[in-house]
Amino acid sequence: MPKHDVLVIGAGLAGQRAALAAAEQGTSVGIISKVHPVRSHSNAAQGGINAALNPEDSWESHAFDTIKGSDYLGDQDAIEIMCREAPGELLDLEHLGVTFHRNEEGRLGTRAFGGASAARTYYVADITGQAILHVLYEQLMKFSEVHRYEEWFTTALVQDEDGRIAGAITRNIRDGAIELFQAKAVILATGGNGQLYDPTTNALICTGDGIAMAYRIGAPLMDMEMIQYHPTTLAGLGLLITEGARGEGAHLYNAQGERFMEKYAPNKMELASRDVVSRAEQTEINEGRGFPDGTVALDITVVPRKRIHEALREIVNVGRDFAGVDITREPIHIKPGNHYTMGGIRTDVDGRTSIPGLYAAGECACVSVHGGNRLGANSLLDTLVFGRRSGLHAAEAVHGLPLRDPDLAQLEDEERRISGIVDRDGSGRRVSEVKAELGKTMDKYVAVFRDEDGLRTGLDAVQRLKEEATDLAIDDKGAVFNQDVLGALELQFMLDNAEAIVLSAIERKESRGAQFRTDFPERNDDDWLKHINVSANGSEPEISYSDVTMTQWEPQERTY
Amino acid sequence: MKLAYWPGCVSRGFTPELHGSVAKVAPLLDLELVELDRANCCGAGVIAEHNQELVDTLNARTFALAQDVEGAAGMMNICSTCQGAQSECQERLDASSSYRGEVNSHLKPDGLSYEAGGGWWNKNFLWILAEEIGLDTLRERVVRPLEGLRIAPFYGCYIVRPSKRLGFEAHPERDVYLDQVIEALGAKPVEYAGARKCCGFPVITMNRTTSLRQAGRHVADAIDAGADCLVTPCPLCHLNLDMQQPAAASFVERDLGLPVLHLPQMVGLALGLAPKELGMGKHVVSTRDVQQKIAELAAA
Amino acid sequence: MADYALKIRRYDPESGEAAYWADYDVELPPERSVLDGILQVKDREDASIAIRCSCRAAICGSCGVRINGQSALACNTRIGEAAERARDGAITVEPMGNMPVIKDLVTDMEAVHWKKIRRVVPWLLPAEEPPEGQEYIVPPEAMLDVTQTMACIQCGVCVSACLSLEVDPEFIGPAALAKAYRFVGDPRDGEHESRLKDLAEDPHGIYDCTHCFACVEVCPKDVAPMNQIMRLRRKATNDFRIKDSNNGYGHEKAFVNIIEKWGTLFEAQLLPRSFGDGSLIKGQLRPQGAKQLTESLPTVYHGLKSGKVNPIKALVHPKLPDQKQVRRIIKEIESQDERIELNLYIVGEMAEETE
Repeated sequence: MPKHDVLVIGAGLAGQRAALAAAEQGTSVGIISKVHPVRSHSNAAQGGINAALNPEDSWESHAFDTIKGSDYLGDQDAIEIMCREAPGELLDLEHLGVTFHRNEEGRLGTRAFGGASAARTYYVADITGQAILHVLYEQLMKFSEVHRYEEWFTTALVQDEDGRIAGAITRNIRDGAIELFQAKAVILATGGNGQLYDPTTNALICTGDGIAMAYRIGAPLMDMEMIQYHPTTLAGLGLLITEGARGEGAHLYNAQGERFMEKYAPNKMELASRDVVSRAEQTEINEGRGFPDGTVALDITVVPRKRIHEALREIVNVGRDFAGVDITREPIHIKPGNHYTMGGIRTDVDGRTSIPGLYAAGECACVSVHGGNRLGANSLLDTLVFGRRSGLHAAEAVHGLPLRDPDLAQLEDEERRISGIVDRDGSGRRVSEVKAELGKTMDKYVAVFRDEDGLRTGLDAVQRLKEEATDLAIDDKGAVFNQDVLGALELQFMLDNAEAIVLSAIERKESRGAQFRTDFPERNDDDWLKHINVSANGSEPEISYSDVTMTQWEPQERTY
Repeated sequence: MKLAYWPGCVSRGFTPELHGSVAKVAPLLDLELVELDRANCCGAGVIAEHNQELVDTLNARTFALAQDVEGAAGMMNICSTCQGAQSECQERLDASSSYRGEVNSHLKPDGLSYEAGGGWWNKNFLWILAEEIGLDTLRERVVRPLEGLRIAPFYGCYIVRPSKRLGFEAHPERDVYLDQVIEALGAKPVEYAGARKCCGFPVITMNRTTSLRQAGRHVADAIDAGADCLVTPCPLCHLNLDMQQPAAASFVERDLGLPVLHLPQMVGLALGLAPKELGMGKHVVSTRDVQQKIAELAAA
Repeated sequence: MADYALKIRRYDPESGEAAYWADYDVELPPERSVLDGILQVKDREDASIAIRCSCRAAICGSCGVRINGQSALACNTRIGEAAERARDGAITVEPMGNMPVIKDLVTDMEAVHWKKIRRVVPWLLPAEEPPEGQEYIVPPEAMLDVTQTMACIQCGVCVSACLSLEVDPEFIGPAALAKAYRFVGDPRDGEHESRLKDLAEDPHGIYDCTHCFACVEVCPKDVAPMNQIMRLRRKATNDFRIKDSNNGYGHEKAFVNIIEKWGTLFEAQLLPRSFGDGSLIKGQLRPQGAKQLTESLPTVYHGLKSGKVNPIKALVHPKLPDQKQVRRIIKEIESQDERIELNLYIVGEMAEETE
């Protein structure tokens, strides 16, 4: 049985940052990931990372933009922490070797990003997430104290009899062996759940595993209704075109050649908050002013070619390879597409969840710093600040504590459950079928515009699919790299996520941030300036509320 | 067709039979070659490794000399390595006028200047055969089809990679020209693993084992695939595949002994030239068996 | 929509059977990827086919395979184009080369790729303590320059295609050496010289690359690993004058010296000069040089015997008529304070238009 003081599950930015922070405290750290760490989806964050580092900028300004962007649902204490710590975090990364863009003086240079009142996004061309992820992995290789378990799939969290976290059960993908990892603290850093939707910008691995695992042992999920649709994704495949394109000056047009953002956000135009831009696009499309393929156009040709080459290289490749479009010469068709989950496992500012010893950081967590809508380039920041804080806190908290005794029966149960899936005699639906139906359902009913009827239809479908997912057909009976059984386990995680999302969306009877209810089109601060929590105490999900923490910013009308 | 002709270094050094056979073959294909006898080494990748601006300038000098040849349709080289090394320089020179200006400033004292654009080109003899002369014309000129000969093509890295720089987008068949030429001459192209792999020559002084394992393996693969001989448009490949073949045999622990022809030699044979005229006696691995087959063809 | 035939190399380590080809049919628009094709087979027909994949957008680096024999990412290879290049109508998909296979299309990257990456000390070794409360000040061009190697997604496609690795599994290889350049090119790193020395002295290091462009051809991110290896060599020989025991320094110096003297390559002197850091006399006197020359004697003998190398040619080489022009150019450029490099990755292949 592998044993560590701190066990980190997930090795994207939040997980790696947490592991490094914990290891620097001299704790024994294990980091488990179902993919090799550099395959993590943090790679996909193209545009950059926000920090008020420039002397003319201030953390207060960054915080206000974030709060306004969140449609006042973000917790202001957490946002203050994130924005205050941003410059230090950014400098740490630079010192570790991230190759951030420089200005003529050789100092860190910035680009503009949506919803921000200053150009405070620091970047590496349009591979910022990739560059940071790879640099952190360099550090992980350097710190041989951090034990890496690459390509291990965690299926369940384990508690002791007092309910304190005691470890996790994990399957070695390479040989199918199931192990119980014993730990004094577990940090979940398993990322988002975009795969619930089809299409999505998210990678195939983004299946909400950690969110579901925490949910299953009673941790409340918060703000789950807040699903971000990114304004610029490729139709069909859902691949992302970075907000950096608009940051560099690209324009949006409808099929009639109108720069329609003039109507929706006359001041910030294309650089309004993502929810605002996505809604504007969807309105244009719904009202017949889009292109026949259900899109509007992003015109990057207005950006100087030299600048495109320097700063938007990846987008040139994506356009060429996946849309057959030379973005330096012609506009590219885009539409809003599933991108990010603002919600997740409820944590405090040190990553602590309601389960003793269990932490969460990054996209799987909800601190909440994004509230109803996340600003571009705040997600990398969130993963790093709260990843580090979780790692630090966990390392300090477990100091001197003994390892907990897990209930070994749980391991046997889990082994039985998994072999039960593998050995099943293929009578049910295929994993791919159920997943495809889930994706279409979510994209239809729980998208940019929502209403009670649609959400109810969605809920019925999700609940039916949940039932079907207990009897999936499995082709692969082997132990080595059995991706079929992993797919089945992931699908079950996804359906738990989906249920929490739809229930929360039904619950919130107002429009705020990413949740726009056509049947409740106004924001209603009197009744709904509060977080919705879903928890699974027993078999039925339970809804509860928690307060939004306010420090110095009162809710105002939100215009861009 | 009149061409500025850059023979390269090795064709006049250790593989004189190559230069000699081009001289014999060119008139049969109506090529009027104006030899660039004042041009310098292409750098063979080594000068590029040493100093990029230097290699670009040296090749710009060669290009400038070629551009000065009155009435030439373009420039011809007879070495995959020259092709690759020079294409690399040309790509950079063509990409940036300010860089080109900088490079040309070094040529100015001698009254030379490389002018970009206007579709000026530098092509290996292989490309000239396929694109300028044409495979149909080539076929018509064949007086002695190489029927019954099984010939394994060996392209040389520099003439197939990187395909983008080498214009494969506009000419996708550059990847198979050598096979096509073999076929046009009446022989049978042999499929084997090594056709587009590395002969190992570039590291012969630095890692003899890697180098000769590569050469030995490709020769062995061709033998196993039933080849009567190899043919290559690259004299550097020829050095490793032919001159070093006896040494390479020990690195793959087997007997080899497969003749390696230069591309113009193969063309010359089909156009009716005698093996001796093509310098086929000057190979390390005897070309006797190939000559024998040619003699039989002539008799038949 | 079109129909495509996929031929996938299957291997199940638990079956006790050897790898085999399995045929599948898929239906997709031609602009979709080979990965989409494989996923369709998994979804509809056989979910037991193993392939690593995640982002579908060529950023996570998971889905390296060989398609029609060519190493590539399955997600950014269009199925229609793969079909055009397929022989016998079926697109073949195999696991990457130069690495052991775990199952089907999944290779053991840890055993080869990552081991090699760790070999090059893949983390920043700063020259000095980080400045308090601010960033390191570095030239903007330097950061852009290493961004090319930073763009590497560690997919292993170049490792799969590397022709040196094919004959020398110990070669550090294209990905790891590109990673090394990421630090050697980074002004914040303080160990440029020791890194270069290490990689130059290793018999499987920078001088074990045969300059075949295979990695440049297949890299899905335009990292051009071979170009980075050449830059490592350039820095090793010119900036730090590292006289390695693999003759890397000698070979380069010998070549340039010969061209400076004669204008074209004098092959007979390349070898002895390479063994003597570029000097003919040193190469012949040095015990190591003499030993290596002796190794080459059989080849020299064969050359002489065949008549392709005559003794006179081995001793005398004609100078170019305008040799003084070449010499002047070399002197002029070598004496410049700065080496000028035009990196098309940075300036763009169409730099002309942006100037």
